[in-house]
Amino acid sequence: MQRFWDQPLTWGHGAIFIAGAIGVLAFVLLFVTYAIYFERKVIGWMQFRKGPNRTGPLGLLQSVADVAKLLLKEDTIPKKADKGLFVLAPVLAFVPSFVVLAFIPYSQNLQFADLNIGFLYYIALSGITTIAIVIGGWASNNKYALLGGMRSAAQMISYEVPLVISVVGCVMWANSLNLRDIVASQGSYFWHWNFLPQIVGFAVFVVAAISELNRTPFDLPEAESELVAGYHVEYSGFRFAFFMLSEYVYVYAIACLTTLLFLGGWNPPIPQLDFIPGIIWFFLKFAVIVFCLFWIRATFPRLRVDQLMGLAWKVLLPLAILNIFITAAYIELWGMGG
Amino acid sequence: MSFNIEFTGEFVAFFSLAVCAIVGAVMALNFTKVVHMALSLAFTFIALAGLFVVLEAEFVAFVQVLLYVGAITILMIFGIMMTKHQGEGQEPSRPLLETLGAIGCLALLGILIFAIRDANFPADSAPLPLDTTREIGKLLFTQMAVPFELVSVLLTVAFIGAVALAKREEDPQ
Repeated sequence: MQRFWDQPLTWGHGAIFIAGAIGVLAFVLLFVTYAIYFERKVIGWMQFRKGPNRTGPLGLLQSVADVAKLLLKEDTIPKKADKGLFVLAPVLAFVPSFVVLAFIPYSQNLQFADLNIGFLYYIALSGITTIAIVIGGWASNNKYALLGGMRSAAQMISYEVPLVISVVGCVMWANSLNLRDIVASQGSYFWHWNFLPQIVGFAVFVVAAISELNRTPFDLPEAESELVAGYHVEYSGFRFAFFMLSEYVYVYAIACLTTLLFLGGWNPPIPQLDFIPGIIWFFLKFAVIVFCLFWIRATFPRLRVDQLMGLAWKVLLPLAILNIFITAAYIELWGMGG
Repeated sequence: MSFNIEFTGEFVAFFSLAVCAIVGAVMALNFTKVVHMALSLAFTFIALAGLFVVLEAEFVAFVQVLLYVGAITILMIFGIMMTKHQGEGQEPSRPLLETLGAIGCLALLGILIFAIRDANFPADSAPLPLDTTREIGKLLFTQMAVPFELVSVLLTVAFIGAVALAKREEDPQ
């Protein structure tokens, strides 16, 4: 993709850009459909249930049927809602979640935009979704929705800080913010990948990332038992589907980022396995992370709201800063990495 | 009077982003509900970030989005918490003030146009480095280290001050 950037924009190149975007959208929609199916299946198995097994063979068409139901459902807007913002919020939530996918390199050559700011792009754009959640909560004119929106804003802004700082260690190691350089800087054997040398950063990153995704154990903005459904309680039909969709697209983005930053991206675990193409390794690691996210959701209870901020500011942030100091000292003393 | 405009991609991008920024700013002034205002401010900031991208300052652009988007969210929450939702009526119009304001604005516009048309922009002294982020980092930690640290001290002082003020209000005695 990158080579088309430097040439003048013709109709042919424009068509290639649009085709690429539609391709990614189709792939992401397929991922979301089956991520939801596997999430329900995996959690079902972990809780001695069967999960969806009626619609289609093995229940494989369950998500398709659910999406069809959501799209055909009556579109309700509360009478006292702020109509414009109520309609705008789902769009504003989904668009950034899709736009952040533009910078992810899937293998050495498959990438849409090679940005030299890499990770910052994700963080900057994912913040816009927070605004959308607050707006959705406020525009619904419902106290549960508003509380959910407020919680979401507080949580996303607090956990953004340790999320960014935990990655600084990797950036220092690779001497670049560019994701391809970060992947290239991770050694060829799997014990050289960032998740072992940067184990503290990795742990902080995973916890902060789960919180940014609003998933259990950090799903306070939509805690069913306290807030009914949080910020999207008034949404139904395809607007609700958009909120769900953007949530799962962020799962996709975070799983890609974890793979790239800490698990060696498209590198095989040992160089002898080099004959298998990089993109297969990338998606294997990606699948492991997505599975871990489902596993965490199946096994952890929800955090209490008063413990949430304490965890971000008193545990994760000092750990992340400590990680930077240790990395800097290591690079300075042994001259490794950057 | 010619403006020497070539219709390149850069010009189209600049023009549409500039229009977006101005539209956002005007809407921020005209809305009556605080959430709408905050949202149109966010629109302006994102358009400004787009202008930075046009200038090939990607780092500045995305740091701008990162910081201001968070700031807008906070602004929105304070707006929701600290304003009344009923009784957001129309302000009474003040014709004399509005006329004076309009004359002042037009005069400022005239001065700005005059100054911009009179100014000569120096050509780039050196080509832009390929990795601007790295160059910014180098400058911040070598030449500009002292101002950078002073700014962080200033921010820390403001931060501690805010905490102290908030604590005192909370205390009943």
